[in-house]
Amino acid sequence: MSSNEEYSVVITKLSKKFGDFEAVKGIDLKIKKGEIFGILGPNGAGKTTTLNMILGILKPTNGKIIIEGYDNSHDGQKIKQMMGFMTQETVVDSYLTARQNLEIFARLYHIPPDRIEEKVNHALKEANLTSFGDVASGTFSGGMQRRLNLVKSMIQEPKILILDEPTTGLDIQSRVVMWAEIKRLNKLGITIILTTQYLEEADNLCDTIAVIDHGVVKAIGTAAELKKIVAKGNILGITVKDDDMVKVTKILKSKFGLDVMDNNGRLEAPITEKPLQQLIKIAQELQKEGIEVLTISMHLPTMDDVFIKLTGASIRDDTSSGNAQAQKNMIKVGFGGRR
Amino acid sequence: MGLLQDSMTIFTREMLIFKSNLRTNLIRSMIFPLIIIIFFGNLGNGVTNVPIAVANYANNPSSVQFINTLESGSTLSVQAVTNQQEGLDMLRSGTISSLVVILPAFPKPQGGSPSVYVYYATSQFAESGVAIPTIENAAAKYSNGVGSVQIESDVNAVSTQGTSSSYRAFLIAGVILMSVAFGGVFGGGMSIIVDRQLGNIKSFLITPISKNAIILGKLFSGTVQSTIYGLLALVIGLLLGGGIAMGPFGLVYIFPLIILVALAFSGIAIMLGSRIKAIEVYAIIAQTIVMPLWFLSGAFFPASSFPAFLRPFNAVDPLTYATGGIRDVMLNGYFPLDHILLDFGVVTAFAILGIIVSFRLFKSTIE
Repeated sequence: MSSNEEYSVVITKLSKKFGDFEAVKGIDLKIKKGEIFGILGPNGAGKTTTLNMILGILKPTNGKIIIEGYDNSHDGQKIKQMMGFMTQETVVDSYLTARQNLEIFARLYHIPPDRIEEKVNHALKEANLTSFGDVASGTFSGGMQRRLNLVKSMIQEPKILILDEPTTGLDIQSRVVMWAEIKRLNKLGITIILTTQYLEEADNLCDTIAVIDHGVVKAIGTAAELKKIVAKGNILGITVKDDDMVKVTKILKSKFGLDVMDNNGRLEAPITEKPLQQLIKIAQELQKEGIEVLTISMHLPTMDDVFIKLTGASIRDDTSSGNAQAQKNMIKVGFGGRR
Repeated sequence: MGLLQDSMTIFTREMLIFKSNLRTNLIRSMIFPLIIIIFFGNLGNGVTNVPIAVANYANNPSSVQFINTLESGSTLSVQAVTNQQEGLDMLRSGTISSLVVILPAFPKPQGGSPSVYVYYATSQFAESGVAIPTIENAAAKYSNGVGSVQIESDVNAVSTQGTSSSYRAFLIAGVILMSVAFGGVFGGGMSIIVDRQLGNIKSFLITPISKNAIILGKLFSGTVQSTIYGLLALVIGLLLGGGIAMGPFGLVYIFPLIILVALAFSGIAIMLGSRIKAIEVYAIIAQTIVMPLWFLSGAFFPASSFPAFLRPFNAVDPLTYATGGIRDVMLNGYFPLDHILLDFGVVTAFAILGIIVSFRLFKSTIE
């Protein structure tokens, strides 16, 4: 405890096997108190499995999880009291009223009976649902359900809030609202651990990001630190006709010494020195070779670039199924709202 | 204390959901008993010329008049036999459905006991269901002297007093248990599948309560709900012409039998629900379990009418004993101690099995 006082969660050599399949392969993470910690990775990377082990509902095959100084292999009850969790899906009992939803969870978290009413009223106010307290939550819009779900997860005043893909399936507007809410809770001193498959979410929200793929931590650090892994300078991006791609790659490699990667048909290469001059030279060279350049651009590294570098593929590639899932969720939420 | 308190929270939640759908739940649970009792309960109505035999040991004007009453109308086809043994042989061979024995003292009681005995074969429930009420009606005229008509439930069975032996009355016990059994498997167990699909089970498991509290809460709520369905079926049965031969005191036996069966099926349902992912698969498996148990218990047809190869199944079917117990109370009005011990013993063991199965084989799959 003493040496790890600044940490809320310390995970050592954590692994989980399902039969022959090893979903998590020896992960080490240290999550500081009061930070927003993001676990970034494509679908099937092992994010949810890791969260389930932190939550104490999945037994690790190996490794250790210490939460607020307690070992979760034998202090499960204490730890569960300190953690709040919001799932990917919006979990509210649609047949129950908002108030009943909250009361049940207040009781499950062993809040003293004489304090339940006050707590529930407070939570309803927080969620902006005071006037809907006695309405069946199934009739709520998607946004209202999500707000109810969030205050429900917070009813026991947890020290740590765990969010599993909190914005998957939300439209951009709701996502921004959710980000603001997460930041507000974090300012109250709550440590937040979230998983996401959205790069911009990790970039905007998280103090520390762990990139996970195939059950392994690929990199860990702040967004800025991670971006430095890719390149100190800028990233050049060129699109040409498919027939010219090999030729351009050759030119960039031989004449400019660039390390070229193919990102969805777009050639990308980090340029560290004198980027602007290099760009002009490259443009001239390509013109001289008679290659029709469709686009040419330069940008600072993004989380997307980090991802390509770390996992060898664009996250858009890897999560095509994830995005389909997200769209499905969106439809579901929209439906719920109208009913 | 903690476990019980936590399970009561889950129970409260389940019952709130039940309450919010109260009308649907109740209507759904009433449709089946209503249809079965109204449609199938009339089995045998409209049957005419039911063959019965009369052994007249009195041979006085009153007894002749009584037999004439039986012959009037087209319901019964009466034939005379010279002695009781001849009649019983015919009953066993199935040529008649009931035997009326008129004792010498008729129309006065025979030494304090009734002077008319009716024997019937339970295997011919439809016909005897028609014959017995007709005989009872005819004998009612002499009830001052006859006392009540003594009805022998089967040729070999003990002498029992009955208020009602129509097929409808016979069916009610079976329908009550059907409501309980189906309520049990399609109430509590199914809710586990839905809860898991929606993520509710996960959200319970991350709270400090134990898995056992979830099971116990679901077990309680499933039992209470199925018991309500069972009592509802009982009320429907009573409204549609059934009666409790033992009188209101009979509820003292019926009620616990219903609760025990409800407990057993809720337990099985919770175990299944925790292990089966798709609701469709669950429905198939649950029906495969409940349907045979229900049919083999003699809920629809008396076990005596079963072919020999089915009899052993009937004997090991726990529902047989629940049905038998309820029928003793409702139909025969007499629940002998050895029946009580056997019926309650078997049904209690069944309930304990359900509880053990739900706790031991529950799988908290969360993915």
